[in-house]
Amino acid sequence: MKPKLNLAVYWGAACGGCCVSVLDVHEKLFTIVEHANLVFWPIALDTKYKDVEQMPDGFIDLTLYNGAVRNSENEHLAKLLRKKSKILVAYGSCAHMGGIPGLANLFNKEEIFKRVYFESESTINPDQVLPQPHYKVSEGELEIPEFYNDVRTLAQVVDVDYYLPGCPPQTERLVEVFLAIVNGEQLPPKGSVIGAKDKTQCDECKRKKSDNKLVKEFKRPWQIKDDGETCFLEQGVICCGPATRSGCGVRCVEGNAPCRGCYGPPPEVADPGAKMLSAIATMIDSNDPNEIQKAIDTVVDPVGTFYRYSIPFSILRRKLL
Amino acid sequence: MENKVNEKIFKPKIVGFLCNWCSYTGADLAGTSRMKYDESIRVVRVMCSGRVDPTFVLKAFKEGADGVLICGCHPRDCHYHEGNYKCLRRYHLLKKYIIQMGIEPDRLRLEWISASEGAEFAKLVNEFTQKIAELGPSKVKQNIETFS
Amino acid sequence: MKELRIGVYVCHCGTNIAAMVDVEKLAKELSEVKNVIVARDYKYMCSDPGQDLIIKDIQEHKLNRIVVAACSPRMHEVTFRKALEKAGLNPYYLEMANIREQCSWVHTNRNEATIKAKDLILAAIKRVKWHEPLDKRSVPINEATLIIGGGISGISAALELANAGKKVYLVEKSNKLGGIMNQIDLTFPFLNSARQILDRKLSEVVNHPNIEIFLNTEIGEIFGYIGNFETQINGNKIVFGNIIVATGLKPFDASRIPEYGYGKLPDVITSLEFENMLKSGDIKTKSGKQPQSIAIIHCVGSRNEKYNVYCSRVCCLTALKYINQINSVLPETSIFDIYADMRTFGKYCEEFYSSTSRKNVTFLVFDQKNELPKIREASSSDKCNLIINFREKLSGEIIEVPADMVILMVGMEAHEAAKEVAHKVGVSMCGNNFYIERHPKLDPVATTTDGVYVVGTCQAPKDIPDSISQAKAAAARILATIEAKTVDVEVTTAFINEDLCCGCQTCIKVCPYSAISFDAVKKVSIVNEVLCKGCGTCAAACPTGAAKAKHFTDVQILSQIEGLFSYA
Repeated sequence: MKPKLNLAVYWGAACGGCCVSVLDVHEKLFTIVEHANLVFWPIALDTKYKDVEQMPDGFIDLTLYNGAVRNSENEHLAKLLRKKSKILVAYGSCAHMGGIPGLANLFNKEEIFKRVYFESESTINPDQVLPQPHYKVSEGELEIPEFYNDVRTLAQVVDVDYYLPGCPPQTERLVEVFLAIVNGEQLPPKGSVIGAKDKTQCDECKRKKSDNKLVKEFKRPWQIKDDGETCFLEQGVICCGPATRSGCGVRCVEGNAPCRGCYGPPPEVADPGAKMLSAIATMIDSNDPNEIQKAIDTVVDPVGTFYRYSIPFSILRRKLL
Repeated sequence: MENKVNEKIFKPKIVGFLCNWCSYTGADLAGTSRMKYDESIRVVRVMCSGRVDPTFVLKAFKEGADGVLICGCHPRDCHYHEGNYKCLRRYHLLKKYIIQMGIEPDRLRLEWISASEGAEFAKLVNEFTQKIAELGPSKVKQNIETFS
Repeated sequence: MKELRIGVYVCHCGTNIAAMVDVEKLAKELSEVKNVIVARDYKYMCSDPGQDLIIKDIQEHKLNRIVVAACSPRMHEVTFRKALEKAGLNPYYLEMANIREQCSWVHTNRNEATIKAKDLILAAIKRVKWHEPLDKRSVPINEATLIIGGGISGISAALELANAGKKVYLVEKSNKLGGIMNQIDLTFPFLNSARQILDRKLSEVVNHPNIEIFLNTEIGEIFGYIGNFETQINGNKIVFGNIIVATGLKPFDASRIPEYGYGKLPDVITSLEFENMLKSGDIKTKSGKQPQSIAIIHCVGSRNEKYNVYCSRVCCLTALKYINQINSVLPETSIFDIYADMRTFGKYCEEFYSSTSRKNVTFLVFDQKNELPKIREASSSDKCNLIINFREKLSGEIIEVPADMVILMVGMEAHEAAKEVAHKVGVSMCGNNFYIERHPKLDPVATTTDGVYVVGTCQAPKDIPDSISQAKAAAARILATIEAKTVDVEVTTAFINEDLCCGCQTCIKVCPYSAISFDAVKKVSIVNEVLCKGCGTCAAACPTGAAKAKHFTDVQILSQIEGLFSYA
């Protein structure tokens, strides 16, 4: 019998959805544990960081790191797990591109603290206390992770072997990747996106498509009476499907919601949002500057629309403040 | 010593995307007519302003451009019929995006320059350079470099 | 990728570049750049020895990419591509940095200009790495030619082609051939009859078996490219390999100049109206009297900041012709020729001026820059119809010239139809609506659109001999391309990577030439490279990166941008 693989799953700045997607393997969990020891998985196991630190380098065969790098703890673990792992996978949109936490790059640390610790409706903080990375108390010095100014992708912090995109990744893709490793299959070149296809969503989308992508005004999904059949773009709703890798099974569109781009851009695309932005602008059916402006007014939030999951991964990486 | 002096005077660096048929030809005409304009601009030739992918503009800012100028044929004069209008549409949406990303909108400009408008091109470069000089150096590159 | 071996060549262009850009320093510094195997500066890169330098280096140093920093690629890209080809390298492995038109000629600070030149060259070096070999594509040439405009230029070109046995479609907007020459009496400097010259040509054209004439016809949408154009005329499809545009001129509208009172003062007439009088042999004022004095005013609408700054080239000589003709028909009539500068270049033209100046005529000079003559109706005591008041430049005095008739030498403007035709055939226009030739000196007949030529006054004001010369030159050019049987067409077209195309069809309506269609079986978009003209708009519209503009790919342009900033 082949020796079992050592498997680790870690969450950085994440919602937990990626870990849940791992749990979503359901009965396939038995297949996984048949082939692997789960050596580290904070959501499910009580392994301590110091236990990981004591593992020999390269001890872990496969680490699925989900979540972005938001604070010093995320960064520490990213570096630690890199050292301890043979294969480090950026698992899910946050590790891959910054994900939803990456939207925080529209603000800086000060603005975020101000909002969270002073202004938010549910905050009562009369002493204006802010988290301090180091705080002396009579018992000694307390330490909490340092909150960084920027949200980074995993690859912006450590060397990453593969990217498995999605918010969260489609569980079936995880199982496929896992079994490929178990079976010793030829792995793709380092740096590849795995568990997703090169072609974008439309390739798998069942909605009816034509070349009639000319739009006078863009609509939010609630503004149309979706016929459930026609391409969202042709109904005037921005769907990021054309600029987003397939592999998820067109889950959102199958659920009658337009694609938001969590699987990230196809290969050779230098910026995750600019291509879709360009395509959408191109679809505006007017040459009149005023009409063009009117149509663009209906694209209410370009960053949130085209870079929902990818601000840290984008060319600009963060808002200039 | 010389470097110190140079540091004080801000010399803007501008990337210009010029369409081959009108604007690039117009810029060439400024040359053959020996018109003078600021050294700030570095031109990237594209066949049509409709080729200008917003990615190019973002890339230019990332690399350190203090301003980006896109020039195409005048409306209805596009060598390829309507490429300039496609450019116009993308320009407006791109501008909305860069504003959200905190880049001063005046750092990105779209103008129509015909093949005969050498003088207009020279004037435009000087004007735009002046505007960028007023805005000061772009912080986009630094913002990306200090990203942590 | 094979090891990159780049050759960089910095041209002095005599002193055109070298005076403002330190080319020697650049060549030295660039030789240190990664992958640059040789970097040289040379007096004239475009000269034969300059090109040989590149060819020799390619062969000796096994160079596989070439960067030439010189003039605009619009000037010599083709020249250097040919040099690469000669050396056995794919011509598209060349990139040019424009350090003349867009650098040395427009800047005044040598240090800054040199820094900029270096940026441009470094960008070219970064870009050229990503260049891909492109294969020449040649297509057969259709031997027919479409000529738009049936004036003397169009007719001359038509005859030249038709006599060589080639089919010509001659399209004329009005109801007769001959254009503006129909309105002219005699020609200068030999005073031959325009009618006779034209009639001889017209009968040849009308009876020529190879010329098909379409009168009262405006040209429709033109599709295709050099060698293979097509359009519809009166519902019938015609195909042709080349196009000659000869849309001609529009006389300047003299009523735009308020000082001259044209349209209000009945005896102020234009040169063309006077031609008509000459033809009918009946030089009379509006009241039917023989004029006792005639004044001729030059530069009407020409060489004037307010109207047209250019010289219309034929007016001075036409005025001299009038002096001769008036003199012989009405020897008693006094003539005042009021000019700004007398411009009589051309064969036998200065001689014509000097013989005319001995005739019964008074030459007066007006100040074109500062004040135009003013024409007013004479009072009943003046014994003439009109009074022209102006400061005579040579004497410096304000004088009044009596005249029964004033001839305004109206200049030339481009025809109203020029703009629309420009659009249909894809040629550019100058600010004053004349067509732009490919190069003012090196290629004054062709345009930037392959297979489209401009001849006659639609390109710039010119006289009949010059129009005919240009027409015949265009015809010769076309005959040469027909002789070659095939023509190389643009290979920098768009291309769709089927492995990336998702079939969203965003690109299809974007294409101005309907060159993209959807393959319903493969579920991908496909480019018809024959129809594609390579604008690259589809590449910028494609959300997946599948649509690629050859030779202007994302990675090429992004690398070029990077290169601009690689030297701090």
